[in-house]
Amino acid sequence: MTGVSVIDKQDMSGKRLEFGLAEDRLGHYPEFRTFFANAFDLEHKGLSEPGFVRTPSGTPYALVFVGRSGEPFPCGVEISAVVDALEPIDGEMLDRDLWAVLRWMIAGVGGAWTVEDLDRTGRLYRVPAAAP
Amino acid sequence: MTIQSDSVLPATLRDRWPYAPRYANVNGWRMHYVDEGEGDPVVLLHGNPTWGFLYRDMIAPLVSAGRRVIVPDMIGFGLSEKPTREQAHTLDGHTANLTALMRRLDLTRIALVCHDWGGPTGLSFAMSNPERIRALTVMSTWAWPMPPAEFHTRIFPWRMMHAPLVGPYLLGNHKALAGRGVYLSVVDREKFAATAQSAYEDVLPDPASRLLTWVWPRWIPLDREARAFQRFEWLERKLSQSTFPTQIIWGREDEVFDAETFSNRFKRMMPHAEGPHIVTGRHFLQEDSGVEIAWLIGTFLDHLDAKEKAL
Repeated sequence: MTGVSVIDKQDMSGKRLEFGLAEDRLGHYPEFRTFFANAFDLEHKGLSEPGFVRTPSGTPYALVFVGRSGEPFPCGVEISAVVDALEPIDGEMLDRDLWAVLRWMIAGVGGAWTVEDLDRTGRLYRVPAAAP
Repeated sequence: MTIQSDSVLPATLRDRWPYAPRYANVNGWRMHYVDEGEGDPVVLLHGNPTWGFLYRDMIAPLVSAGRRVIVPDMIGFGLSEKPTREQAHTLDGHTANLTALMRRLDLTRIALVCHDWGGPTGLSFAMSNPERIRALTVMSTWAWPMPPAEFHTRIFPWRMMHAPLVGPYLLGNHKALAGRGVYLSVVDREKFAATAQSAYEDVLPDPASRLLTWVWPRWIPLDREARAFQRFEWLERKLSQSTFPTQIIWGREDEVFDAETFSNRFKRMMPHAEGPHIVTGRHFLQEDSGVEIAWLIGTFLDHLDAKEKAL
């Protein structure tokens, strides 16, 4: 439905991580932290390796989880595109991919959180990636 | 660690914001403020995601009426320093920032005017420094612990807008609040877009500079476990006991902090307050009724002057 899937660890030779989006407070709504912990088996993997997803553009993204003393893990996450080391990224593609990751996340969190509400919010604020 | 913005005021805004920039180191941060006129001080406090520009139609009339007008930009907004770590922003920290400026300027007999997050921070300053306060004005704000409005409990659009990762994307990457958010929260949108919208967008030019626009919504308590719950309990209790001359001004078209619910709750909390005075305006009522609000504040203070002289 969202075109995003969890994939295996990526070979980073000849690649770099191009920063896309960061969140310092994943647990603001705890169900979001639970979603990521389950999706990437973080209870067992901890900080040992990033999680990876593939987006509709075909670009892999690394999700680097962040811990902070005194707070449940993970407390934050940094999302970066895995791109050719010396090549600039297409900004519009990055934006569409991040929107796809958000839709995947909301679908996974579930419950009262719906992709429809995310899409409505995106359209309200005229986010290009949310345009019908 | 920080974005310094002492000279970022866009040239297109300088005619409409002719005030000399002043800076003070407060609580470890560099705060911009304007300080115009002479007389008893009127301190005008903005909220999220605005800055002193919100009060541009009110400064000159109040100065002409014999008041000293001080308009700080909250740390993280306007021309003040903009920390790039969310840990730099706490409700109590912002109150301490304001307290430091008021003490630095050694202000007393302050008429404090509070809007949006200028309410919880400004009123907390007032309740903890009562010897410096003369009077209060509250506009489209709140000062109690449970969800401020039904609007704030809904997922669409409020909770979704600042949800994990969604907040940094929408409000940071796509400036949803500083851009379209303010636009949707004024009455005369055409005029706003033509004369003011760029003033709010241009001082927050990059996603990192917009950090506080998604951090502030997360400080609104939605349950008893929320970070700010006890602070708001304290604030409600202190305000309920306060006897400061107070007036309530509200926007007729305000859908975020609707007049019926919010102005009446302030009135119940402080029955001695004047008002509510209802003016044309949504949440950012200064955009539609700045001159009228300045007149209401000026008249309110003139009456206080007369009462004091009569004693």
